[in-house]
Amino acid sequence: MGIVGIAAGKVLSSSSVFLFLTVLLLVAARRISTSVLLFSLQSAAITAQVAVTAYYEQSVEAYAIAALVLSIKVIGIPYVFFRLIDGLKTPRDVKASTTPAQSVFIAVAMIFISYAAVRSYAQDVSVPGDTLAASVSLILTGAFLMVSRKKALMQMIGLLVMENGIFLAALATTFGMPLVIEIGIFFDVVMGVLLMGIFTFRIRDTFEHLDVSKLRRLRG
Amino acid sequence: MTSLLLPLAVPLVGAAIILWFRNPDIATRLALAFGVLEFIALGNVVWRVHRLGSIAAGRYLRADGLTSFFLVNLAFVSLLAIVYATGYMRHPGEGRFGSQRWFYAMLFLFIFTMAGVCLSSNLGLLWIMMEATTLASALLVGFYNTEGAVEAGWKYLIVCTVGIAFALFGTIVLYLAAVKAGLNPQTALDWAVLMEAGPRLQMDPNLLKLALVFVMVGYGTKIGFVPMHSWLPDAHAEAPSPISALLSGVLLNCAMYAVMRYDAIVSRAAGTAFSHSLLLLFGSLSMVVAGLLILVQRDLKRLLAYSSIEHMGIISIGVGLGGPLGLYGALLHSFNHSMAKSLLFFSAGNVRQSFGTSRMDRIGGMSRSLPHTSAALVVGSLAIVGLPPFSLFVSEFAIVSEAFAQSRYVIATLFLVMLSVVFGGFAYHLLRLLYGEAKAAPNRTSLILSESITLGITAACLLLFGARIPHVFDTLVHEAMAALR
Amino acid sequence: MTMAIDVFQALLLILAAPLVRGIVARIKAGIQGRRGASIWRPYADVLKMFRKEDLAPPSASAVFRFAPRLLFAVAVAVAAFVPVLQPSALLGSLGDFIVMVYLMALGRFFLALGGMDGGSAFGGMGASREALVSTLAEAPFLLSMAALSISAHSPRIADIVGWTLGQDFFDISAVHILAFASMGMVALAESGRMPVDNPTTHLELTMIHEAMVLEYSGPSLALIEWASAIKLNVMLALLIALFGPWGMATHLAPVALGSAFGVYLLKMLLLMTALAVIESSVAKLRMYLVPDFLGVATATSVLAIIFTVLSRR
Repeated sequence: MGIVGIAAGKVLSSSSVFLFLTVLLLVAARRISTSVLLFSLQSAAITAQVAVTAYYEQSVEAYAIAALVLSIKVIGIPYVFFRLIDGLKTPRDVKASTTPAQSVFIAVAMIFISYAAVRSYAQDVSVPGDTLAASVSLILTGAFLMVSRKKALMQMIGLLVMENGIFLAALATTFGMPLVIEIGIFFDVVMGVLLMGIFTFRIRDTFEHLDVSKLRRLRG
Repeated sequence: MTSLLLPLAVPLVGAAIILWFRNPDIATRLALAFGVLEFIALGNVVWRVHRLGSIAAGRYLRADGLTSFFLVNLAFVSLLAIVYATGYMRHPGEGRFGSQRWFYAMLFLFIFTMAGVCLSSNLGLLWIMMEATTLASALLVGFYNTEGAVEAGWKYLIVCTVGIAFALFGTIVLYLAAVKAGLNPQTALDWAVLMEAGPRLQMDPNLLKLALVFVMVGYGTKIGFVPMHSWLPDAHAEAPSPISALLSGVLLNCAMYAVMRYDAIVSRAAGTAFSHSLLLLFGSLSMVVAGLLILVQRDLKRLLAYSSIEHMGIISIGVGLGGPLGLYGALLHSFNHSMAKSLLFFSAGNVRQSFGTSRMDRIGGMSRSLPHTSAALVVGSLAIVGLPPFSLFVSEFAIVSEAFAQSRYVIATLFLVMLSVVFGGFAYHLLRLLYGEAKAAPNRTSLILSESITLGITAACLLLFGARIPHVFDTLVHEAMAALR
Repeated sequence: MTMAIDVFQALLLILAAPLVRGIVARIKAGIQGRRGASIWRPYADVLKMFRKEDLAPPSASAVFRFAPRLLFAVAVAVAAFVPVLQPSALLGSLGDFIVMVYLMALGRFFLALGGMDGGSAFGGMGASREALVSTLAEAPFLLSMAALSISAHSPRIADIVGWTLGQDFFDISAVHILAFASMGMVALAESGRMPVDNPTTHLELTMIHEAMVLEYSGPSLALIEWASAIKLNVMLALLIALFGPWGMATHLAPVALGSAFGVYLLKMLLLMTALAVIESSVAKLRMYLVPDFLGVATATSVLAIIFTVLSRR
């Protein structure tokens, strides 16, 4: 095994650690741009994992998917977000409903729950338990971000983190679905982000703020 | 075969061509033309499936009996909605995407995605199309760009995307179970292959159950099952009325179609007990919560939206009961409900256009000011609460009979009680709306052509199906049931 | 021979402490675009203060005089716990990390008492703030070191360092990364640096440590300043020893020791630069946000402990 092989092995075993770190940092972040950067780093870690899987499986399709993740989630979507942040001219803070310390404690609890939830399935599916637990905690973190952050942009980021988690779960268990399906899913994600971007502009224009907790006109 | 590609190509081409012309009148006429073309294309598929059994095109498209049934639903409601829209959307909305040509273009994109959901043979493609329906209809929901519309559109986009992400997880778990059971990874997402491989999938009941739970929660969000329904009243109420009709009448049914596919696959593999109890649970919950909330509504379109949730609960109970009558009633009900809901939403559209609001407490004495629309509303309401001689009575009767036949007295009682509650709610709201003193004056009182055609056709359909189900339709339902077995 | 090196390590930590402070201040000045004072300035300050008169407020009791001496003694003792050049320390076999943490707590306790004993309002205010910070910093300190000691199967710092030396650098361990993050935050709190406390301020709003020592002068003040410099040096050396000890001498050859010394200097330089960068880029936290900062540290260290269990499976 050359140096590439050793590096691949190390990447695989340490990527879940990086993902947990991004989870902690995401929930403790106080600015939207920090969260976007963390999402980009998270996607980069996942790209690395896809690339390593492609290397082990010797599969061209997996390399293509790695390229897709890199171009869309590491570069493309964060770029769209930064353009949105500039264009919306909104205050940069995250408007969280929990303090960073409380959020990190909740994140710790979620990581613990992920490991517990994955335990019964990990032997079942012969998959590294760490990666599966990382994906479940990404999903939980995404949900937590969506619920506890009151800025519309943060809800979008929470959604994207959830998609990251689901994608990682797919990667860990089945080494990815057929390429065409993956491309379609990416297309949906990109279109979703663009549409949500359009809507944030509309929210800002009609409501003069981006606080989704104040969108409570329709009730009952 | 090209006949499967046609219903997908026509709306895409239509959307592109409509965007090309700037004149709203031309856009309207083109929309009508393409609407008729799409109706014909869909009818073609239904005809071929009837003649040839299941047909397929390439690796990703297939139509069998169940598909063609839902395509009939799509065809009728979409054409009616387009006809109604030609009269309704005479004034452009605000914002960058507010002109008529954008409306019709997005409408056709929406129809394309819904046809895609029904025609997919690959569960992954089905997911992609389902997410695409959310994306395609989001701007339609937020079309008027008012505070309410923007809020409704945002909630719709976020809640449904989250829900569908859960469904993706469920799809992946099912794929995992299939691959583990030895199916070829390239075809393991094909629902026909999965249906055939039923007994082989039995090896992993836990994975299948996990997949089903996530899919039910996920696609159930699109159906509007309680407790994932929070987006539905807002979206269906704030959207323009033809879009509301499409949302309530077709999109909810397409989501139910997806759930039915998964139910069939998992039932073949692991027995019906688990999936049917989930369906019964969600269905009963939806009926109860929606039924109770109907009593306190003040906005007409919101009232109709909650009624849609309730009826999706009825359909879910029907599928969950299973049996010959249960499934028959459920399928029939999905069509009957879409007809009745279209009638009601078109009438509500008239109310909105004439009075400028759909708040029932701000209008009164409508029977005097808008006689034709009131008549349509009365007919629609009588139909939607399940009174004979309208068709919903037949389908609901079938479902309740199945419940009694299976000795599920709790469910049957719940069903009948909630139907009565809803009847009371509708009676109360309608009486206040139609009679009593008038609080607002309408700006016109007669119906235009597009409105009378659509109201007339839907009302006639309800009466006709209530009297006797046409043989053609009966065959369609039975073919759909056969596809699920 | 080992003993001699241990003594050398302790002396290094004690005597080089003001130099560390000077270098950090110089790097900070460079980042901020100033020329900054000479790196030997803290030595000049300490020597100057030793020559001055030691005044005490009339209302002060014996505690006022006693506190600086105790603080310095504690600092010296703690410095003897930390391995620098080899995985053993002067007091390494006499106590474990808990003893070290509570020695530091003892010192802080008496410093707070001395601050209150001075009788000024600032002293009491500084003492109460210091009590808050040190109480909250204790938990992550203990927890992260506990996580490391669980992994190393021993509570003695020297043993932990020895175990870490045997690990492969590229086998990234979640426990270590999390413990490092937590200890980093604790180090900032314990040594009274930004964003917890500003060592160069004398504004009422922002003082913690400076408020407590406001009444001191002469040799007492010299001892306090030196002790706080030793604490900073010890925290940095502890971070290096626990999380990046590779390069330490495992056997007693002069070459190994020489290279260990060189590597240690390099790592210290790295950490000092990092500290200077952090201090220059982060604003001091308002007092009501400091518990939050330390709460994040606590949660991270809790996760580190959880991972000692989870990554064994």
